[in-house]
Amino acid sequence: MNAVLSIARTTLGEAIRRRVLLVILLIALLLLVIAPGMNGLTARQSQTVLLSLILGVLQLSSAVIAIVLTVYMIPNEVERRTIYTILSKPVLRWQFLLGKYLGAVSALGLMIMLMTGTMIAVFAAFQGPNVETLASLARVAMMYFVQMCLLAAVAIFFSTFVQPVVNFFLSGGVYLVGTVFGSLFATIAESQQLPQAVRVAAQIVMLIVPNFGQYNVQNSVINSGAQIVGEGIYYTNLAVYGVVYISILLLGAMLVFDRREV
Amino acid sequence: MSLAIETIDLVKTYKHRGGASNTVVDNLNLQVESGEIFGFLGPNGAGKTTTIKMLLGIIGQSSGVANVLGREAGDIEIHKRISYLPEKPYYYEYMSGLELVVFYASLFGIRDNDRCKELLRRVNLANDMNRPLSTYSKGMQQRVGLAQSLINNPELLFLDEPTGGLDPIAHIEIRDLILQFREEGKTVFISSHELSDVERICDRVAIINKGQLVAQGRLTDLLAGGRVEVTAEGVSDAVSQSLRHENRTVSFKDGRLILDAPDSDDLNGMIDALRNGGAQVVSIIPRRKRLEDLFIEAVAEDDTAKGRQRGRMTDGNSDGTVSTEVEEVKTGEGESS
Ligand SMILES: Nc1ncnc2c1ncn2[C@@H]1O[C@H](COP(=O)(O)OP(=O)(O)O)[C@@H](O)[C@H]1O
Ligand SMILES: [Mg+2]
Repeated sequence: MNAVLSIARTTLGEAIRRRVLLVILLIALLLLVIAPGMNGLTARQSQTVLLSLILGVLQLSSAVIAIVLTVYMIPNEVERRTIYTILSKPVLRWQFLLGKYLGAVSALGLMIMLMTGTMIAVFAAFQGPNVETLASLARVAMMYFVQMCLLAAVAIFFSTFVQPVVNFFLSGGVYLVGTVFGSLFATIAESQQLPQAVRVAAQIVMLIVPNFGQYNVQNSVINSGAQIVGEGIYYTNLAVYGVVYISILLLGAMLVFDRREV
Repeated sequence: MSLAIETIDLVKTYKHRGGASNTVVDNLNLQVESGEIFGFLGPNGAGKTTTIKMLLGIIGQSSGVANVLGREAGDIEIHKRISYLPEKPYYYEYMSGLELVVFYASLFGIRDNDRCKELLRRVNLANDMNRPLSTYSKGMQQRVGLAQSLINNPELLFLDEPTGGLDPIAHIEIRDLILQFREEGKTVFISSHELSDVERICDRVAIINKGQLVAQGRLTDLLAGGRVEVTAEGVSDAVSQSLRHENRTVSFKDGRLILDAPDSDDLNGMIDALRNGGAQVVSIIPRRKRLEDLFIEAVAEDDTAKGRQRGRMTDGNSDGTVSTEVEEVKTGEGESS
């Protein structure tokens, strides 16, 4: 465990110094700060628009950071040969991979925290410090974080056998399918008009691709009318789903990585 | 003496897409004894790094056996007793030298900052250990790498091209450190093509070319059989004729006779013959065989042998020739001139 934590700490230290990530982070923070100036609507409307805008910025930039952060992580270690020094120590490959993942997730957490803090501050400054709304904003951000941990696990898994650029599009694609197109696939899977084969294919896609969409709980904040029934249980389920899925992905990554020539 | 490293018919073949394959390490048989500095030599692309990676268990062998400290290569228990300095290493640049060594120490579960500092002092980085690695010169990076590799007080060190790309001063620093390792009873396995370094510090060497062993043995044995060059003035034709012999070359330059003979030859007899014939001996220069000569001989002979083979056969891969080449290298003293 010692080794895993050391590797995680090193990975974190490196990630928060990566220029690409800092640039993305900076752009996101900038967008969050200027978001309130971008709408000239009525008070009621503007709150809705502002919320969807800042949450959209938060989600999109978190996803980009999650992918950029992870797709190059293992390839960089190989290219710089740091992985050889590490694996020539009494460190097993799964420990290395787990350390890398935990480091990535910590960096991700740190960056999401920074963006969330900015977002909450900006929102409070313009819409007044409504404690309930601010708390639910934090909760939404928390769910985004779990979502991004899942996305990072997907990218790490792919990074054990595909090139970074391919992985970028692959992980991005999986994320899109799992969020934006999730409901589309669900509709296809249940549609009686479509041929059996198409429905089965859609069902398989839904089965394999992680359900990222369920972490998008922003509607409960944006439309104050839409309440989640049994919130506590819902969030717990989401967390459990995330942990299980991440474990499966990491296990798969470890199996591939263990057999791979580095 | 017990063997620190032993490989038996070790093979690494990379398969490429489309069925082609590339045998990078070919039936390699190495024996490295405990406590020696072993030089693993070969031109670029010979398969040195690949062999080391197999010995570390970073990559698996295609066939054959690789034993390190009496266990199968890659055994995680063995990793506690060895260390590795990769060629052209790169470290996490944002760290300081000290942070880097502390990081590698933690991979062994060692939490001992004093020990880390002591190691950095030992490699002459006492004043620079708190600077970020990005400001280190190549030589400093290599030294911090050595400090890192000593953290577990290893019995066996693998150093891949430890002096590659360094300036002469840095060469000497690294060389001195490696010699100290032997004093401490460590076994050091150095891959290199920097022959002058190897010649100065190694006890035994192996030379590989295109993945195959072309020579292995004690440096003193491999380099035995130098030549001696005698220069004389006023040599009559009769005397110069009498000196001709199958292993010698006789030539004239500016009216002087230059006699080049194996140092095992009867030197006194030759000089007597010259002086009795009225000639005046001007100089006698012993020419010790250099590792460079051995290396070039071994690799060139191997290449021409393979070239011949390729001319004859389509397959171009036979083991019979290799062993005879080893014999040639060991016994064929200075026949190349
Ligand atoms: N992963 C790999 N796939 C295919 N060929 C490789 C791979 N790694 C090394 N090689 C080839 O193996 C040969 C030996 O490489 P290497 O062991 O690095 O040589 P050296 O260290 O002696 O310079 C080279 O021709 C190199 O191209
Ligand atoms: Mg090499």
